[in-house]
Amino acid sequence: MSFDLDPAVRIALRLSLALLLLAASHHKLREFEAFRSAMANYRLLPDRWTRVAAAGVASGELAVGIALLAPGLTRAAAGAAVALLALYTAAIAINLIRGRRDIDCGCAGPRARRPLSGGLVARNAVLMLVAAACALPAAGRPLVWLDGVTLVAGVTVLVFLYGAIDASLAHAPRLRALGGSKA
Amino acid sequence: MIDALIVSNVLLWVLVIVLSGVVLALVRQVGVLHERVAPAGALVLGDGPRAGEPAPVLELEDWNGRSLRIGGADPGGRSTLLFFLSPSCPVCKTLLPVLDSVRSAEDRWLRVLLASDGPRPEHEDFVREQGLSERGYILSSALGLAYRVGRLPYAVLIDEGGVVRATGLVNSREHLESLFEAKERGAPSVQDYLERQRGERRVA
Repeated sequence: MSFDLDPAVRIALRLSLALLLLAASHHKLREFEAFRSAMANYRLLPDRWTRVAAAGVASGELAVGIALLAPGLTRAAAGAAVALLALYTAAIAINLIRGRRDIDCGCAGPRARRPLSGGLVARNAVLMLVAAACALPAAGRPLVWLDGVTLVAGVTVLVFLYGAIDASLAHAPRLRALGGSKA
Repeated sequence: MIDALIVSNVLLWVLVIVLSGVVLALVRQVGVLHERVAPAGALVLGDGPRAGEPAPVLELEDWNGRSLRIGGADPGGRSTLLFFLSPSCPVCKTLLPVLDSVRSAEDRWLRVLLASDGPRPEHEDFVREQGLSERGYILSSALGLAYRVGRLPYAVLIDEGGVVRATGLVNSREHLESLFEAKERGAPSVQDYLERQRGERRVA
């Protein structure tokens, strides 16, 4: 049994994911030293490997982001995106299990310190679903002008909503520190 | 019919974009609010004698060579406010008038002392300019070490029995007053006080 995704939806998801990965690799490469030390803080690799690994992760993100924009490479790029996200999620989950919630996740740039949380794991799970959806075959339907509207509007809304959800995740620990609700 | 659906679809997209933009803006405003309401009292640093512990007893001399004792029970039954400052710290200077008003308003129960360290010549201009020689100016590195003062301006409130009641980094009159509040309410910090209040509410 195969499930075909509507081409407009597929393109919208693909573009959004590409934008997300490009933005993420941009801040990682721009402030590489901060990202390297965030990564060293995960304590998953010996210290002398963190530089290579951090460079690999940041340039991998960049490569996958660009590949997602190329129509011919979508399936391979989507698979790589799932693998990359699975890697992050595993690293976060391992440190959550170790009880090291206070380290910076390194996922939002050095200025936005963000501790690890279950919310990050859930967020990555949703992103992995999006990436997996991009790998589904598209239904053969000719695109019409209205699909252009869907595409532009859909990507804009996804970017806004991602920003809003990400910011709420960042606020949650501060809300807890204020001693308010346990939300 | 199809035209109507297209119009409604485009219109809905526009509204969804506006709505998600508003949500994003609101969430960001929440972030700004969090930054503004952050710690309201004096920031308590980790080291040194904590609130509730006895203050180390030190025999020292003030600027004019008069000996005085810090720590231990006070014979006059007064509390002591130790204010750590340095000539090179601009915020400390802005707090000197506040300390003067505290000194005159709370003289009945409070002794205000200014503490700094370093070679005396470096302090001479500062003491003369600000007229500090009669205001309990102490030069002693032992004092700063005893309370592990790492950042300035720092204040320590010791009660009449020689017990540290509150400590913290003070940058404003509010921070200084939070130390007196701490002594009055028996809670070493604002955070502690709020925590306790919540506990009481839960019990009630």
